[in-house]
Amino acid sequence: MIFNLKARLLFPFPAKATILLLLSVVFFFAPADALAQRRFSRTYPAASDVRLELSNRSGFVTVEGWNRPEVSISAYLEAPAATISPQMIAGTIYINVLKDNQGRAEVGNVNFTVRVPYTSNVDIETLIGNLTVSSVRGGSLRAHISSEGDITLTNISAGTVSAQNGIGNIFFDGEIHPGGNYRFASHKGDINLRIPLSSSFRLVANAPSTRSISLGAFANPNMVLLSDGRRVAGRFGDGSASVTVTNQRGGISFLRR
Amino acid sequence: MNCEECQISISAFLDCDLDAAASNDVREHLALCSPCAKVCEDFAAIVDSCRVDNPAEIVPPNAQALWCRINNIIESEVKPPTEQQPERSFIRRRWNFTLSQSIAALAGVAVISSLLTIVGIRNYFEPTGEDFTLRSASTQTTFEKILSKVGLADTPQQARERRYKEQQAAIDYWNKRVQARKSQWDNKIRDAFDRNLNEIDQTVSEYNQILQVDPQDDLSGEMLDSALNDKMNLLRQFAEL
Repeated sequence: MIFNLKARLLFPFPAKATILLLLSVVFFFAPADALAQRRFSRTYPAASDVRLELSNRSGFVTVEGWNRPEVSISAYLEAPAATISPQMIAGTIYINVLKDNQGRAEVGNVNFTVRVPYTSNVDIETLIGNLTVSSVRGGSLRAHISSEGDITLTNISAGTVSAQNGIGNIFFDGEIHPGGNYRFASHKGDINLRIPLSSSFRLVANAPSTRSISLGAFANPNMVLLSDGRRVAGRFGDGSASVTVTNQRGGISFLRR
Repeated sequence: MNCEECQISISAFLDCDLDAAASNDVREHLALCSPCAKVCEDFAAIVDSCRVDNPAEIVPPNAQALWCRINNIIESEVKPPTEQQPERSFIRRRWNFTLSQSIAALAGVAVISSLLTIVGIRNYFEPTGEDFTLRSASTQTTFEKILSKVGLADTPQQARERRYKEQQAAIDYWNKRVQARKSQWDNKIRDAFDRNLNEIDQTVSEYNQILQVDPQDDLSGEMLDSALNDKMNLLRQFAEL
């Protein structure tokens, strides 16, 4: 009896009324942008070697590999909402936010989450925003940011990888295939490459402004400093793959995977 | 029934596809008209030959002998080869030059081959602009250096300057397009563009200063080329907004 009285004093409203009150408070203080978001969702059946070509204007793009023969595209569109019209043509899924909204003065961020079969080929680019790709093991992977944003590539196993941004960091965590081609370029930021010690590659790494090139466990007598330490070039293992890293105003680090 | 109607109906008549009345009409006309009767006989002969049970009967007897005869006739019509003697004498007569003619011909061949060699070497050692900007004086072969000295090929510095001018022309073009559209961009896009362009411009300025002090600094030349490409791509991508 005493317990019930205390409970009444502490929670004077019935449970339903409390929930409604809380919800109204939450919605009242919620930012206008969150309420203005729209959701876009679509799924396509896809072959294991499907190709994704995504050109975004601003916002983040996350691509994840999964064990399903389909491509799932979901996007949150901030106001003013962009137009998105994906197309699937001859085994390639095209999403071009730039083209679909060309000439529009204001377009809100579009935040994509795309799930693709593990062995897909991925080509994503954006003007502004972060790009994240994980668990993709297709033939090629390209991630380009025209201006600002970080590129994070994790658990990657592709023969050709190209990652480039203006201002922002690049992180690559993956395998180096024999005979593969790997190119990383940034204007200002840090480039960190985490690769297995069993990799073999020819390296040309340029950090002309900072001279900060850390080879870590990959340092060996075949790697030489050139041009007053602004460039490191050489071979690791049998050197069958090609790795080119250029960071105009930032550092480069190799990490053991 | 006239002749035209009759001849149209002959095929059906022979195949017994006509009704009784039409067959009678055709029969009466054939009895009276000898040209149509001849046509009918020819038709009948063709139809009969197509109905032969053994198609081998159509093949002429001893077809191989027939082909041999045709072959012999064709070969007999081919003219035998003419005597080569007059041709050889003609060739000898053509190559029978005087001493002055021979000397002039040799001199001509020497001049043409020299010119061809120079043009060939020049084309072989003159790489594209992008290639040449990535090359340095230290990696030039002796032959390339000689060609550069005599003016037959660009030095790395000249090639870099030429490429720099080309890139600047492209940058000016895209910059005009960007300026025409920039007022329509939202603040977020405009700020990001300006920050990135500013970074690239600072980098370009630094490399230009280094190259003014040390024109032989190949890495700076290469990085300048890369930075100008970045600038061009940034302008081009934002110009399409």
